[in-house]
Amino acid sequence: MRALFFVAALLFAESVSAQAPLSSLRDVFETANVAASRGDYKTSIAGYQTLVEAGVRDGDVYFNLATSFAQSGDYPRAILNYERALEFLPGDAKTEDNLRAAERTLEEQRAEAEGEATILRSSSMSDAMYASFTEDTLAYALIVFNLLFFGCLGFAWATRRRSNRLLGLAVGAGLLLGFSALGLGVKAGMFRDGLRAVALGDRVSLREGPDTDARIRGEARGGDRAEVLAIDRDFVKLRVVSGAEGWVEAASVGLVDPDARLH
Amino acid sequence: MRLVPAILFASLVLIADYAGAQPEVSVTLSASPSEARVGEMIRLEARVQTQGGSIEGLQLEDLRKYPELEIVSHQTMRPMQFSFGFGRGVQKQSSLAHIYVFRASAEGTFAFSPAIAKVDGKVHRSEPLTIVVRGGAGTSSAPGGPSAAPPPPGDPDAELSGAKFDARAFLRTVVEPEEAYVGQQVNVTVYLYTRLRLGPQSLTPTKPPMDGFWVHDDPITNLQAQSASVRGLNYQVYPLIRSAAFPQRTGELTLGAPRVSFDVARMSLFDAAERVEREGIPVSVRVKPLPLPTPPNVVVGQYRAQARLDRTSVSTGDAVTLRVDVIGAGNVQDLRIDLPPMVGVRALQPAIRDRQTLNAGKLSGTRSWEWILIAETPGRHEVPPIEIHYFDPETETYASAGTTPLSFTATGAAKAPSATIEPARVDAEEAPAEFGPIRMYSALERDRSPVRSRDWFAWLLAIPPMAFAILVLGVALSRRREEQSTTAAAIQRKLLRSARAALEASDPREFYDRVVASLTHALETRLGQPVGGLPHTELRVRLSASGFDDDLVERVINELEGADFARFAASGINRDEMEHCLQRSAAIIDRVQASKGIA
Repeated sequence: MRALFFVAALLFAESVSAQAPLSSLRDVFETANVAASRGDYKTSIAGYQTLVEAGVRDGDVYFNLATSFAQSGDYPRAILNYERALEFLPGDAKTEDNLRAAERTLEEQRAEAEGEATILRSSSMSDAMYASFTEDTLAYALIVFNLLFFGCLGFAWATRRRSNRLLGLAVGAGLLLGFSALGLGVKAGMFRDGLRAVALGDRVSLREGPDTDARIRGEARGGDRAEVLAIDRDFVKLRVVSGAEGWVEAASVGLVDPDARLH
Repeated sequence: MRLVPAILFASLVLIADYAGAQPEVSVTLSASPSEARVGEMIRLEARVQTQGGSIEGLQLEDLRKYPELEIVSHQTMRPMQFSFGFGRGVQKQSSLAHIYVFRASAEGTFAFSPAIAKVDGKVHRSEPLTIVVRGGAGTSSAPGGPSAAPPPPGDPDAELSGAKFDARAFLRTVVEPEEAYVGQQVNVTVYLYTRLRLGPQSLTPTKPPMDGFWVHDDPITNLQAQSASVRGLNYQVYPLIRSAAFPQRTGELTLGAPRVSFDVARMSLFDAAERVEREGIPVSVRVKPLPLPTPPNVVVGQYRAQARLDRTSVSTGDAVTLRVDVIGAGNVQDLRIDLPPMVGVRALQPAIRDRQTLNAGKLSGTRSWEWILIAETPGRHEVPPIEIHYFDPETETYASAGTTPLSFTATGAAKAPSATIEPARVDAEEAPAEFGPIRMYSALERDRSPVRSRDWFAWLLAIPPMAFAILVLGVALSRRREEQSTTAAAIQRKLLRSARAALEASDPREFYDRVVASLTHALETRLGQPVGGLPHTELRVRLSASGFDDDLVERVINELEGADFARFAASGINRDEMEHCLQRSAAIIDRVQASKGIA
């Protein structure tokens, strides 16, 4: 009971610390909204990026930024920011719809110009399984099920009760504990080789080495999902979903985790 | 008798021939139009026409009599026609015409005496002619602009302000008023005074620099002239540039020198082309500050304000459009309005539209604000009156205009604004439908590290298993101690039972051996160390050091000493005494087991 109270107190303290005055940020947000509503996407993109640079990590801001990019025709950046929005709003139907719409529009544009086009997106089962959960949700679930599981065990040990109900509760808590732990690991990238990224340039050359003169061994297209395997000055080693690897200029990719840095 | 008619016929023919030898002459003088307005062109034609005669001349005496009628062009026509009639020989028909084109530069009635024609030595006259010129387009302002008429100087020889005199052409800048309040409208008109004929489409005016002014231009699309006399010379005066200027700062503001260039119209093919360029002079305007005290956000002009809501009942989270129009004379672009805060209502940034027109030299217009109001809480929401303050330069007083208070009602539960509410669109492009609207509400969560990376997260995760481990360990130790305690108690009970058996067998030595053994076992179990070989003095010290209370220590030592003594003097011990000893020992063992002394 005391442990639960302690957890609740910690969560309350966190929420209070996050509710600082945001009047100036709200002004920027509303200005950007008005610009977006008027079709002035250059201004709206600048406004939303100002918020992101000011430390705002909000799914709705990323949604608006992505939509502004999409409306202005920059679909790779729209895809990147819809992916970011889904990090904060997992399972948000409108965001997922818009992400698919951006991918479809980009594919159609390319198909019209080149005859065929495919956007390479991640399709791992673990990602799909935990797509509806935020990392924080899984972390809180881990705390609760951890407490429940060991609470059941401790109660059983201390009281020497061996009831089926208690056993079922302990097993259920243990399974959920494992699910949460696995999900947290997936979300934290423990099972990935690197940071999630999206190719931003129309054609991003995958090179043998971190140099613009290095031989080209393949290419990624704008909107393709990838992982960053290594960083060397202004170059990153990328592995796209198809498995192709190569060095690309850091500026030609965007990281889904907005707090991660390539430089 | 037949001869008489023949003679009569011949006489008539001769008479007719004679009469036909007299020329037929007609002289006319006409004007088109005979009534005109100042600035308009008038065509004056004097014509003599004769058949058979010879035209010797045609005169119009009053041509130079009226300087107000400037001769723009003169044309002479002398057509001649010959015809051959049966029995009449060659017939000659001739005419002479003088055609003048005047430009009327002043009002008046101009009487022309008859044109005089001389045909075959005889003088013939036309009817006299009167031309009426009325004030009209040339003397009035062009519609929709500041005054186009240059104020004619009362004295024709007086100097003109804002101009550098030139006998052929010069520019003049007229400012009305020459002293104004900051923000008050000042009409600026640049005139071209010329005695030269302007070549068509050749006029190129250049606006004077107007630094320090906000300027609304009134373009002149139709050149219309009036006449003016300067230093005894008649000029055609054309307004070239009209502007409504609003001084933006106090002090002496200067309007720069305007410039113009134009071609002089050629009268004939042989006239040389001439390009004329003229530059005016700078003109100053003295700008006064507004009288103190100045109300906040004051503007100059005359205004009224009105407001309306597009609906008065909405669901919570839906939008209402508040429109405020401020209408009046002055520069509406100076108007500023701050929407007062409204509890429970969120207002997006307003869309602002301006409409301005120049009528009769006054700039007026409307500035409109449109706010999107989003009711975030249910209930009746009041839009407070919005007030503007203005300075009326005509009365030189401050006044206010305000809107009436409005209200609307929101129903439904309080909630954040819907993501699909969009603000008013101005010149908005339709967004592709597939991406839908942006979201108008965001909690704007700021940088927060993930829960898993916070310090307390690891502790919270570690506490349950650690607590479980501690619990398991504690319970195990407790059980072990319990088991040990249970075993020791059983041994002690067994020793006491054997002591009772020795009592029953009347074997005092054996009895006291068992009593000592049970007491010693109880102490050793409690202390966790052997005490059997210890002298009683040392045992007392150890028991006291182990936390046993003094009374218990005293009882244990006494009982052990008594038992030792009785073992060696067993013959003197009766049964009752052993019975009491057994009861005391059992009580001491119970106290030792329950004692808080530390092993």
